[in-house]
Amino acid sequence: MSTTESTAPARRRAFLGIDTGSISTKGVIIDDELDIIARTYLWTEGDPSRAAERVIDDLEKQIDRDVFDVVAVGTTGSARRLVGAMTGAQMVKNEITAHAVGTTHLHPDVRTILEIGGQDSKIICVEDGVAVDYAMNTLCAAGTGSFLSSQAHRLGVEVEDFGAIALTSKKPANIAARCTVFAESDLVHKIQMGYAREDVIAGLCKAVATNYLNNVGKGKKIEGPVVFQGGVSKNIGVVHFFEEALGCEVTVDADGHLMGAYGAALLAAGTPPEKQSSFAFDIDDFEFKTREVVCRKCPNHCEIVCVYKDDDLIDSWGNRCENGALKAKRR
Amino acid sequence: MKRTDDTARADRASEPLAMRAANFLGEAIDAVDTLTRRYDDGPRASCAAGDGTRAPSRLVEKRAAKKRERHAKTKVAFLRYGYYDIGFEFFVKHVLDAEFVDLGESTKRTLELGAAASNDFVCAPFKHILGDYIEALEAGADVLVQFTGPCRLGYYGELQESILRDMGYEFEMLNFAEVAGKPLKDYIAVCKKKINPDLSVPQGVAGMLTAFKMIECLDAYNDRYLAVAGFDDEPGASREARERFFAAMRSCKTRRDVEDAFDRGVAELEAIARHKPADALRIGIVGEYFTAVDPRSNLDLERKLLSMGVELARMINVTNRNIHYNEPELRRSVSEYATYDMGPTSTLTIAAAKRYADEGFDGIVHVKSSGCTPEIDCMPVLQRISRDKHIPILFLSYDSQTSDTGLDTRIEAFYDMIAMRKASR
Repeated sequence: MSTTESTAPARRRAFLGIDTGSISTKGVIIDDELDIIARTYLWTEGDPSRAAERVIDDLEKQIDRDVFDVVAVGTTGSARRLVGAMTGAQMVKNEITAHAVGTTHLHPDVRTILEIGGQDSKIICVEDGVAVDYAMNTLCAAGTGSFLSSQAHRLGVEVEDFGAIALTSKKPANIAARCTVFAESDLVHKIQMGYAREDVIAGLCKAVATNYLNNVGKGKKIEGPVVFQGGVSKNIGVVHFFEEALGCEVTVDADGHLMGAYGAALLAAGTPPEKQSSFAFDIDDFEFKTREVVCRKCPNHCEIVCVYKDDDLIDSWGNRCENGALKAKRR
Repeated sequence: MKRTDDTARADRASEPLAMRAANFLGEAIDAVDTLTRRYDDGPRASCAAGDGTRAPSRLVEKRAAKKRERHAKTKVAFLRYGYYDIGFEFFVKHVLDAEFVDLGESTKRTLELGAAASNDFVCAPFKHILGDYIEALEAGADVLVQFTGPCRLGYYGELQESILRDMGYEFEMLNFAEVAGKPLKDYIAVCKKKINPDLSVPQGVAGMLTAFKMIECLDAYNDRYLAVAGFDDEPGASREARERFFAAMRSCKTRRDVEDAFDRGVAELEAIARHKPADALRIGIVGEYFTAVDPRSNLDLERKLLSMGVELARMINVTNRNIHYNEPELRRSVSEYATYDMGPTSTLTIAAAKRYADEGFDGIVHVKSSGCTPEIDCMPVLQRISRDKHIPILFLSYDSQTSDTGLDTRIEAFYDMIAMRKASR
């Protein structure tokens, strides 16, 4: 990370947050009053480092850098370490904490946060603005965003239209969504039986909601106000079935899908000033490469991921013991 | 006898050893009690002439070595199970009087070997253990030892034996599940048959008692380690001290050695400079017998948590589950949550969780292998404890995965959550 010389004191401080998920990458910039001034959302397309570069480019265009000076970066999501190494982030935080921080800031009275993303889903219980319990799906991605988009593909419908179509159904088909494989065969069966497409789609949306409550939300006391986030929260069909199942209003924020990035930005804003330094938006100028190395220094043969900025090793992870510790250039 | 550290001694389990041994092997071996009184080398009144280093004089000349004694000792291998290989090694050397096959640290390959030869749906410990056995056989083991267990573990030995035979390995299997519940003489008979025909019963019983003592000392030491190791001024100092303690334990030959090594180890551990805050975060670990205890099975969960600077406690260990296990007593302590014993470690899991909640711990981590039925049965009870006592519980389920990314995310988030929760109060 390099510091620009023209750090004029007049510029307002701003903070960047990037949430790199398996399916989509989200980025926000917040100003010193913690309001979002730039936002972006795009597909990860299996290349998190490229996605982060695109997010940063897009955000840069949205702000006036003569007015705002991004002084701290926070990253979250499953590629948080990689993107954190690339951007020299001050804060690298897991997505659960980031979501909790972001949401409780926007909705101080929230009691339950439902979140369904591309590969995982989680529930966070909040008391007095502090997360007190959480659960995350285990092992399998049934009922998450990637499941819905693969089924949309099967049905020849854009996943963005799913919710609207679902709401037109009067009799949602009964689909078992506990397991993606079973759900798929059930779905094919229902289609071949001649169910109307909107009923099948509504059935899918309903199955996502009930599956979530039975698995991730099992044993948790879901109390209102409830906030629903993650990419799937954009699906009004799923929102509808959540409200039906919970019997209370489910709030979906316009920026709900950005909440992880927002939380990361808030956490970055909380880093001590001596750690902050101006972010140059120049990661395009460098080439970031990752390389997997199998360490032979002990019998475990750890797979170590090394991140290179041009030809310099900037970070590495994956080793289990001191033997494999690579000397990364620390900032 | 030297009494170096009275507080350390107080931690150790109370006498008599014989009762604990009987508890461990079941009621069938009451005979142990008698044998103990005769052969236990623990402290008792005695008098001896000379400096005590000389061997006692013999009335009868030592007989010439028999032909069969010229043969090499049988090579015996155990499964890997946390730090208990130290106790296993002692058991092989001083009870069975055989050669111990040291498997060293497990690697990714161990699990790959085990998983490849196992049914996909079997619980993860089975895969780990099968991998250990394959490596043991490659290292030249003649006999594999499997203990019996209170759940599917009881069938492991038989199934693993037949899988390994199908793979073409030739070996003997000392499977204690086959003699579980039978009289002591059956245990001795099977050990004689499979490992050492000249097995000495008095020496074996004395060794067994020392092995139990050793396991108790290992567990007592580890309890202290978990409580303090997260706060070292110099990170890793406690871990290094623990390695030295393990090495000292490994070289013990008598019960006295074990007790002295324990005292020295605890003193060394406590002498390390630390910065433990008065209101340190405390996390209790509960869960399944194998996965919660064995670091390679739970991807070194304890080390990860300790590195975040928390105090840990884990009631589930061999001492509490086998040597001192009193299920009805434990169940009485959780009578509002459990009426019946749900098998293996259920009562201990529930009782430990309740105790941690009552003692004001900040969180509980529940660890099990994927598909572990008894522990799945515990989960609704734990959720009730969580709601009743307002303590967050993190549920972790392990299969044969080797990536810790998902685990790191979950425990980091758990740590953040309990830390923020504590700070807000």
